[in-house]
Amino acid sequence: MTGRVCRGCGGTDIELDAARGDAVCTGCGSVLEDNIIVSEVQFVENSGGGSSAVGQFVSLDGAGKTPTLGGGFHVNLGKESRAQTLQNGRRQIHHLGNQLQLNQHCLDTAFNFFKMAVSKHLTRGRKMAHVIAACLYLVCRTEGTPHMLLDLSDLLQVNVYVLGKTFLLLARELCINAPAIDPCLYIPRFAHLLEFGEKNHEVSMTALRLLQRMKRDWMHTGRRPSGLCGAALLVAARMHDFRRTVKEVISVVKVCESTLRKRLTEFEDTPTSQLTVDEFMKIDLEEECDPPSYTAGQRKLRLKQLEQVLSKKLEEVEGEISTYQDAIENELESSRPKAKGALANLTRDGSVEDTTSSVFGEDDAEDEELEAAASHLNKDFYQEILGSGLSSSSEGAGDPDGDTRPPALESLLGPLPTAASLGISDSIRECISSQSQDPTDACGDGELDLSGIDDLEIDRYILNEAEARVKAELWMRENAEYLREQREKEARIAKEKELGIYKEHKPKKSCKRREPIQASTAGEAIEKMLEQKKISSKINYSVLRDLNSKGGGGLQEEDAQPEGRTATRKLSRRKTPARRHRADPVTGVGKRLRPMVSAQPAKKAAAGEPLPLSPSTLGAEPARPTAVLVESGPVSYHPEDDPDEDDPDEDDGEPCVSALQMMGSGDYGCDGEEDDGY
Amino acid sequence: YPSPMTPMTPITPATPASESSGIVPQLQNIVSTVNLGCKLDLKTIALRARNAEYNPKRFAAVIMRIREPRTTALIFSSGKMVCTGAKSEEQSRLAARKYARVVQKLGFPAKFLDFKIQNMVGSCDVKFPIRLEGLVLTHQQFSSYEPELFPGLIYRMIKPRIVLLIFVSGKVVLTGAKVRAEIYEAFENIYPILKG
Repeated sequence: MTGRVCRGCGGTDIELDAARGDAVCTGCGSVLEDNIIVSEVQFVENSGGGSSAVGQFVSLDGAGKTPTLGGGFHVNLGKESRAQTLQNGRRQIHHLGNQLQLNQHCLDTAFNFFKMAVSKHLTRGRKMAHVIAACLYLVCRTEGTPHMLLDLSDLLQVNVYVLGKTFLLLARELCINAPAIDPCLYIPRFAHLLEFGEKNHEVSMTALRLLQRMKRDWMHTGRRPSGLCGAALLVAARMHDFRRTVKEVISVVKVCESTLRKRLTEFEDTPTSQLTVDEFMKIDLEEECDPPSYTAGQRKLRLKQLEQVLSKKLEEVEGEISTYQDAIENELESSRPKAKGALANLTRDGSVEDTTSSVFGEDDAEDEELEAAASHLNKDFYQEILGSGLSSSSEGAGDPDGDTRPPALESLLGPLPTAASLGISDSIRECISSQSQDPTDACGDGELDLSGIDDLEIDRYILNEAEARVKAELWMRENAEYLREQREKEARIAKEKELGIYKEHKPKKSCKRREPIQASTAGEAIEKMLEQKKISSKINYSVLRDLNSKGGGGLQEEDAQPEGRTATRKLSRRKTPARRHRADPVTGVGKRLRPMVSAQPAKKAAAGEPLPLSPSTLGAEPARPTAVLVESGPVSYHPEDDPDEDDPDEDDGEPCVSALQMMGSGDYGCDGEEDDGY
Repeated sequence: YPSPMTPMTPITPATPASESSGIVPQLQNIVSTVNLGCKLDLKTIALRARNAEYNPKRFAAVIMRIREPRTTALIFSSGKMVCTGAKSEEQSRLAARKYARVVQKLGFPAKFLDFKIQNMVGSCDVKFPIRLEGLVLTHQQFSSYEPELFPGLIYRMIKPRIVLLIFVSGKVVLTGAKVRAEIYEAFENIYPILKG
């Protein structure tokens, strides 16, 4: 049928028997093919008399070796961890995605994101549910579906900000930039929920127009899109004579009532709100407003400036009032009989100076004015003299202004050529940093420098005896439980120590990357590996140790070569479980001996791995040619093949043949293979 | 040669004629650490210092505060201390020394080793509204803007390594700096981007 030509007679009439699986030439009867792989469906008869197809259900991804004919209870048995995780994730994604009514394409994309996340180890230390939700939300964002993070949070009953954190991390690690949310996406969804009936489309259009107007008026930046949608829909509904209350809208849109009112107020402040319904549909105002937070900030600034100006004016007025007061009192004094000659002169001098100081006070900063005002109010002889003295001295100081000077300097220095522009910033920074290190060294190797520290101030922070006692009492009462627990714990530890069963629970340290095994001989390598890890329960370790003494060249190479590979390749922690099984002495390798035998010369030639023991392999060859040939061939793996071959070999290793059988009686195996019709 | 009318692109390094923003970010918070170099008994410190609180069940450190400069310190039993709340590097150092002095006075042989400023936070106002959506479109590899989660745009600058929180009102918060110059440099970098 395939048009082949028989080798024997040259005839083209080949008969393919599917049942027996062979191809026979009808002319001469020679069998051309044996054991043809067929893809036919076979049926078996059930007990009830019906027939069912023979076969297994295999899942789309992952190793589907366990038969799950409609069962599924033992789905996760015996699979490797990664496959389990992925399968679990897939199940959860589908479950959650169906609740959100996402289509299959979205779910597949979400699963792809999840696979990427797992490969980047982002699922470590995080709840699977969070990661799944983040993947789904990422898909929603990239596809532009009207799903909010709040919906996912509702379904999972998780705080939305926690989900948000996971989502942001996922987006950053996967380098996927989701476009910013457009509130217009949510309008159809909310409009549908608000049940506008036939006018749904019109109301939606009006709401969209309102939203665009809000966008132009800078109302939507930094705000939750759902809040804006709610406001837009409310106004649109009112415009079309639908009586939707605030409560109804917020139950659909999921924002707070105050938020909605605030948005409505902000919209009210824009000039568009002054238009009538018809005008709004036709006209588009040109000017754009500033965002509300910006205008609020500006208003606050202006208020503060106004306050400052006002307080200055107040001081001036006070100063004026006090000058009037002085003038009045002067008049009164002059009209009074002049007593106390010398003192009177002095008071008159003082009052003259007061007026001058008050004049200064108006010109200078508020501090001086306060001083002048205080001196007026006091009317004390000495005070006035002090006040005048102070006002003259404080003119020159201007200490409060000193703090504000450095920033002004910086702004002055800005336009000047900076170190960066001159290209010497690095060297300057080095010089500065080395200089700054010196003061600390000069400190006398870490002695506390007490300059600028007021001892009295420090003493104020320390309690005296009585206060300390009171505080101790209060503290003891507060923390009594904790102290009791600590005491019990100590007692328990002491008892366990006595009994010798004290198990110290150290906080978990993260596993360090294992060092590649450095060994000079194969035997050493094996020993080191054994020390480091127990590989599998199915290996007879004692036999392995005996191998060194017994095995000789070829056997050692076998074990050394896996070690060699592990040494040359960087082991990540992830890979070591797989590596472990790979390095497991030969249960897998042995199985492959047979199929590999035919291909061994090619393999050996193609072996590109720089194994340190290959020369010795060759050297040992003459001693036991067949054994070495067979065993070294398949072991020299190509690096690319390994990851794929890990899993099947691990599985193949299950029906365990002990190392002894494979290794110690390696001769038998070799002979057996040789017998196998070759 | 370029006449005064040719527009200067912001990419060119700062020359005297280029526009500098004229705005200087103000430092709002400095976080620093220091090693007092000796083991401390937190209970003693907590019970004998006026301004200390210690709740071992909740957190394994003494929380101490001083009024001048207004700062808070976390003092651990290993002798390490974290000082936060100062508004300048000098103030942070002075505050850390004051805390060390208090600990010294309480009877421990406290030293002052490895004082290091770990983080500096600055803020400023550019005085004009900023279009966050536009910024996230043009600088999407640096920006992250999620109005559902946070009203500001999170801009992660690579050089210098600073995180900026940019708000629509024009206010900018810069954090993650180890030295003051990084904050200034980051702001000078972002100002032309914000101006558009």
